[in-house]
Amino acid sequence: MHDKDRNRLSIDIEKRLGGFSLNVRFEAATEVLVLYGPSGAGKSTTLNAIAGLNHPDAGEISLDGELFFRRHRDGPSCNLPPRRRSIGYVFQHYSLFPHMTALENVAYPRTRGKDRHQRAHELLDRMGLAHLAGHRPHELSGGQRQRVAIARALAIEPRILLLDEPFSALDLALRQRFQQELGQLQRELCLVVIYVTHNLDDAFAMGNRLAVLQEGRIRQIGPVDEVFRYPADHQVAEVMGIRNLFRARVVAATGAGLVLDWDGLGLHAPVQPLPGNVDVTVYIQPEDIKIIYPDRPLMDAVSHNQVEGNISSRSRNANFESLQVRLKNGHEVEVRFPRHAYLPLSLNPGEKIHLSLRRECLTLLPPAGKRKDG
Amino acid sequence: MSWHPLLLSLKVTSAATLLIFAIGLVLAIFFARHQFRGQTILETAIHLPLVLPPSVVGFYLLILLGRDGPFAHLFGWNLLFTWPAAVIASTVVGLPLMFQAARSAIANVDPDLEHAARTLGSSELEVMWRVTLPLSRRGILAGLVLGSTRALGEFGATLMVAANIPGKTQTLPLAIYDAVQNSQYGLAHQMVLLMTVLGFMSLWCVRRLEPFRRAEAAEERTHA
Repeated sequence: MHDKDRNRLSIDIEKRLGGFSLNVRFEAATEVLVLYGPSGAGKSTTLNAIAGLNHPDAGEISLDGELFFRRHRDGPSCNLPPRRRSIGYVFQHYSLFPHMTALENVAYPRTRGKDRHQRAHELLDRMGLAHLAGHRPHELSGGQRQRVAIARALAIEPRILLLDEPFSALDLALRQRFQQELGQLQRELCLVVIYVTHNLDDAFAMGNRLAVLQEGRIRQIGPVDEVFRYPADHQVAEVMGIRNLFRARVVAATGAGLVLDWDGLGLHAPVQPLPGNVDVTVYIQPEDIKIIYPDRPLMDAVSHNQVEGNISSRSRNANFESLQVRLKNGHEVEVRFPRHAYLPLSLNPGEKIHLSLRRECLTLLPPAGKRKDG
Repeated sequence: MSWHPLLLSLKVTSAATLLIFAIGLVLAIFFARHQFRGQTILETAIHLPLVLPPSVVGFYLLILLGRDGPFAHLFGWNLLFTWPAAVIASTVVGLPLMFQAARSAIANVDPDLEHAARTLGSSELEVMWRVTLPLSRRGILAGLVLGSTRALGEFGATLMVAANIPGKTQTLPLAIYDAVQNSQYGLAHQMVLLMTVLGFMSLWCVRRLEPFRRAEAAEERTHA
């Protein structure tokens, strides 16, 4: 029935909404493609266009050459209504029909046939909800509702599954379980899954590929790890929540490495492609800045790029602590470490601190180009 | 007391209720779903019988239903001073209440639920039938009860277009008027009591149908 080479969804659309314009173009195969971006970037609008719930001003959407939508200035147009696209859609708030039981919700797509309830039962069973078939949505927990919504979306035997921030209302443990389950479903049913989120953890857990959407444009698309490690430009890096971005000047480039000047602070970086300009954007992840104990011998890894600074603030969450440190050149960097690391150091705001910006972790970004530079 | 006014009132109200339901629902769906130029003007016109004196509504209906009116021209009917005229008068005054309640109930249905139904294979008609209407039925029913009770109590416009012919077009409210004019206070008392009970029951139904209204109002107050 399904095979890997089939199910190629391609999207190339434009849509204006007031002052906002959406212009996206990408392809998705049998995979989980994460659409990631801040709210208002156009993620949901894109999903709705794929499902046929809104109409782009121009462009084309097709699945394996079967046109869902086409509108160009000249040439024939086409717009398949949502009911003919067989796209399963899990809405952000699940949108279960409140006047129907879980079973009736899942059986909704089938209006006739003796097996209509039986098939719905199987789907509920698959999601581990058979015992709740007779419950109305308001009697279910958030996690249960979400699974009913997924079962309902699967009931139309879709080729494409769209999910709009499906885990936003769930706690972390449930989230992780569903991420796994969803991945399994995707592989088993050979679905094209497009998954919208503004949560990076979701993106990492779910995605084969990641498309970064910002201000209505796809800024970068690629394997999740790659996008995170090598953001295409300054803006993507910012959207991805990459800290410690700064502008520096390349002073020397040799076979051994680069020497950078960051407003008076000399830094060493590993050999990497230069963007063709001496002014570059560099980042270092907060985890890659190490705090140096004043009374212990230095390890090799942290012997480069030692800097001094003053702690300006300290914060913590369940997993790690972070410091804002003002360096001698006037800039601030964020330093992040696991809780209970550096216990012997007091690390109070106002104190002096010794840091090492690990040389091999200083990464140059391609130039921001003609776009406005933040 | 003669039962004729009561029976006639029930007949007129039943017919008016059917019309109010059908016309009101179609208008409500249309206005909840579409935006167009002149929408506000049309809506205001539908609501107008709520604020106009019954004599003004009656006057318009006289022209509409009379010998030279469009009804006579189009269908060859002269409905004046017949019970169908009372039905039309009752429909016109009851319709705005149904329209208003049904329209806001339909417009309040979460559009994502309708979207979900579309992606699950439903045509627009099916979305309406299986999702939108079931979810707005409380508001629609409340509007229908209000509208039909208003139709039952219709007096002024009916007096003008159907007149007050005992045994022919004399509905309960008109019979009460007659009884008072003729100083038959005992009879008036009975009929007034009957009308009050009917009105009370209908309003009680409406309250039962709108359990959210008070909660919503309270919420609005806390936000204000």
